[in-house]
Amino acid sequence: MTKTAVKRPGLLSSAVKIFDLSLGQMLWSRRSVFLAVLVGGPVLLAGVVRVAIAFEPAAMPRINGANVGGAALFGMMIWLLYIRFIVPVLGVFYGTSLIADEIDDKTITYLFVRPIPRAAVLVGKYLSFLACTVLLVLPSVVVVYFLVVPIGGGSVGREFPSLAADLGMLTVGLAAYGAVFALVGARVKRPLVVGLVFAFGWEPGVLLFPGYLKRATVAYYLQALVPQAMPQDSAISMLMQMFQELPSVATSLVSLAGITLATLWLAGRAVETREYVLEQ
Amino acid sequence: MTARTRYFVILSLLVLALGVGTGLVAYFVGLPTTALQRAGGPDELRFVPRNATLVAYANVTDVMGSTLRERLRQAMPDTPRGQQEFQDQTGINIETDIDRIVACIAPQLDGSSSLPGTGLVLARGRFNEVRIEALMREHGAVVEVYKDVRLIVAEPRTTTDDQGAVRRIDGLSLAFIESGLVAVGSTPLVRHAVDLKVGGDNVTANDELMALVESLESGNLWAVGRFDALASQARLPGELAARLPAITWFSASGHVNGGLSGVLRAETRDDASAADLRDVLRGFLALAKMQAGDRPDILAMVQSLQLGGTGKTVALSFEVPPAVFDQLGSGAASPPPQ
Repeated sequence: MTKTAVKRPGLLSSAVKIFDLSLGQMLWSRRSVFLAVLVGGPVLLAGVVRVAIAFEPAAMPRINGANVGGAALFGMMIWLLYIRFIVPVLGVFYGTSLIADEIDDKTITYLFVRPIPRAAVLVGKYLSFLACTVLLVLPSVVVVYFLVVPIGGGSVGREFPSLAADLGMLTVGLAAYGAVFALVGARVKRPLVVGLVFAFGWEPGVLLFPGYLKRATVAYYLQALVPQAMPQDSAISMLMQMFQELPSVATSLVSLAGITLATLWLAGRAVETREYVLEQ
Repeated sequence: MTARTRYFVILSLLVLALGVGTGLVAYFVGLPTTALQRAGGPDELRFVPRNATLVAYANVTDVMGSTLRERLRQAMPDTPRGQQEFQDQTGINIETDIDRIVACIAPQLDGSSSLPGTGLVLARGRFNEVRIEALMREHGAVVEVYKDVRLIVAEPRTTTDDQGAVRRIDGLSLAFIESGLVAVGSTPLVRHAVDLKVGGDNVTANDELMALVESLESGNLWAVGRFDALASQARLPGELAARLPAITWFSASGHVNGGLSGVLRAETRDDASAADLRDVLRGFLALAKMQAGDRPDILAMVQSLQLGGTGKTVALSFEVPPAVFDQLGSGAASPPPQ
């Protein structure tokens, strides 16, 4: 009788297996209703605007007496709906729940007793978060683009480079926010509260003031990748523009990649080393 | 991965690929605007030549049915003489027969550049073609057929210029290009409009002008023109021409309802010219406010003037409240002082 050594699967192959398992769970969970509303909202809004303008051209939004073109309207929607709201919210709600949900459901033990690296659980779940959000957010942006940009004679061809840049920027943003909040979820006891404070308290607050603190945010680097100009929709926006010193695209991309990899590695380390006590 | 998840992933990727693919094709090859939305502006623009230096539009139904028009009619009940004369000569009642009008000025087709150039008016509405033709023939017009369209041509006349040379001036022509669409204007432009019926290079291919037209579409009156072209054709005195602001395009848009609101915009050659023009207008606005100090109705109108615009654009929006027209009406109705 020969003794065969059982080889422990590597991090990547284990993560792929967890990804396969988690994607379906994530897509068809109760949280997906919230996700559908979140990404369906802009599509609905764009459809309403398009129909309203088709029936009543005078309904077009105006600035300084001139109609706002479809491309400008699309840029405003990207800023106000996607960058400032949808991407951080998805990051907070999904990123913080990657490990926290398994702890709440007391199912994390079943994953940890498998012969796979513990970090693979987090990486696999992170990849499924990324796939799930990217597959929902990007088609939503594309549909909004084709609904809004032709308004007022805008050209879908001429504006295509900005759509491509927006799609890339949103993917990078989802990846960075997801990784940051995955770390929060893996390390902090009440991750949702901390995540919300970070996304809607710390980030917008710090961006209002001059200095170096803004470099400790994801939004600072993400805003540099947006091809459209920041809308002056409020006094806060005007303040943000006043103190805006955007990094270059290359710096932003390197910084966001660094934030994503570093926080993901730290989250993996936290999952590997931390003792999760399941409350009875 | 379950079948449900797989279908979702495939559907999502399909939407994404279709969108990005269409965008790519539109970017590299171009996509007809009508594939996604009709070209901006009224449909009659397809009969306007591409090199038009001024294009104007009026939604006659809106204007004639507006409260403002009703107020003016009550203040001045007599039908304007010009309107009555037009109806006597052509059989067209502007108030009831015409829905909308598109007018344009284009350079002379023979290459001469002096104003007034050639003009064309395209009116959409309900017309009694037989009666109109009979009336025009009574006034000496002749009928000729051009590309299967009956052209009613008023007799050309001749004139002598400063150097004593005799010059032929084309008369007005009228043609029913489509059912419910009449073109009235200089004969070469009416002929050109008939040519454009089967396709060709019309003003909708002029991207610069169309971008302005599309930004003004919400108004029921608007005009867009190439200021430098009009100014250069106008044979202005050298000193005056030199003092004109460096405006390339201008546009005006108005909305008539109870009152009248609108915006005048000018595109200048550079940012500095726009800043200068804004300064000049600011001065005029201050002067107007000072002058209107004791007239509350005029003051309300002057205060509605808003100067705006960034970069090369200068915009002046205004709103004439209904009270101003009431005041004008009462002034017109009251008997002159003894």
